[in-house]
Amino acid sequence: MGNDIPFAADQDVLVDANIFYAIGRPSNPQYRRFRSAIQNAGVICKLPQRVIGELGGANTDRVQAALNEGWATIIEAPSPTDGDAVAGSDIARRTIANETEQVEHEVEKTDAILAGLAIQYVRDRETTGVVVLTDDKPAKKGIEKAVRAQGYTDSIAVYGLADIIGDDPGDSMRLI
Amino acid sequence: MTGAATSSLYHYSDIPVADNCGDSLKFMDYELTSMPSDHNHVRPDGGIDALDPPPMDVMDEETLKPETLAQNAARLETIVQLLNHPALARVYVYVCYWGPVAPPEIMDALDLSKSTTYEYVDQLVDLGLVDRDDSTRPQQLTADPVIIVEQYVPIVITPTVLHALALQEVDEDVEYFMDRYGIGKLIAALRGAGLHFAGKTTQRMVATDIDVRETEAMMIIYALKPALAVGQEHDPFFEYLFPDVHDTMDLPDLDEISGAPARTSADR
Repeated sequence: MGNDIPFAADQDVLVDANIFYAIGRPSNPQYRRFRSAIQNAGVICKLPQRVIGELGGANTDRVQAALNEGWATIIEAPSPTDGDAVAGSDIARRTIANETEQVEHEVEKTDAILAGLAIQYVRDRETTGVVVLTDDKPAKKGIEKAVRAQGYTDSIAVYGLADIIGDDPGDSMRLI
Repeated sequence: MTGAATSSLYHYSDIPVADNCGDSLKFMDYELTSMPSDHNHVRPDGGIDALDPPPMDVMDEETLKPETLAQNAARLETIVQLLNHPALARVYVYVCYWGPVAPPEIMDALDLSKSTTYEYVDQLVDLGLVDRDDSTRPQQLTADPVIIVEQYVPIVITPTVLHALALQEVDEDVEYFMDRYGIGKLIAALRGAGLHFAGKTTQRMVATDIDVRETEAMMIIYALKPALAVGQEHDPFFEYLFPDVHDTMDLPDLDEISGAPARTSADR
């Protein structure tokens, strides 16, 4: 399904850091499939600074590679201040706590904040739509619920890696 | 495997492995029987709640008999060999999961030279970890799964753990993590990865739990996926590491991955 990507060139694609680890190193077929999907759609992955954290060290080289190749960029997304955005983060956090059976204050702030950032992004900009990409299942559920509860399903779509490059056909994993 | 093999899991503690293995180290029997009752105390970071200090009666005259200690010392040595030599552990895990196999298959599958392959096989046979059947040509190798569970430290070592360790031979991400953090944290990361793929924790929670950077947690969680995917189907002791989530992980289907071990080997 590689070519059948669910977003268009005029959408803003906010990407969580985990996507860059789910696709593996640049030599991995999944990495190449993801890069082509992004480039074919004519979009650039926007990595909110507070979601990606500090880059540096060998473990972030694949993010750096995407930045260098120009299909990803780091953005300074404003903190959620809008009422809907703040409430969105709260809903995401509650949902993640529920999914993982943790108490709410144990939920990492960054896991929940992507929901708020996406809503804030829509509020601040004249954008056709925002796509949020994350491969973390509990976090994804949190963001989806926040978007639904706050009534942004028309402007914000949430996807996992499999939605972009299909299920892993098994050629990307070395078993041993 | 999760259906058949897990339901028969406890039989391993009293029948097949122990019977098959005799004195050799395929099975560390201490603490094993008391382990299942402690499943509730497995922590999200991969550890198992330790009683600190352990009760005095953990050790008794029987356990501390010089001959018992001597026997266990040899077993411990064997596992230590595997832990210290990931390349050797990789061959062991391959024979354990893919066996019976002949040495040329190991050479091809693991990209090893002929001399290295035979050197490792000889070592594993000497350690009592691999059985060599010379009655056929080529010789056929098999290996019983090992397990060490020690609830007070805590330690849990199963083929899945050895597989995770062995991945550093072929995966730069596992190598990076091992160099930086060592095996203890790798096992914690393995447990965290399993919980994540079962939807029970986020990757950032794993980072906090095991005290590594968020991106490092993300990296190692995906890097350990092969050990979980194969272990879930072929490690008869998988449930010792994942009593709570052994059958709920969302992992790639081995049937769709070329070169995966044959399904039947899970049922032996």
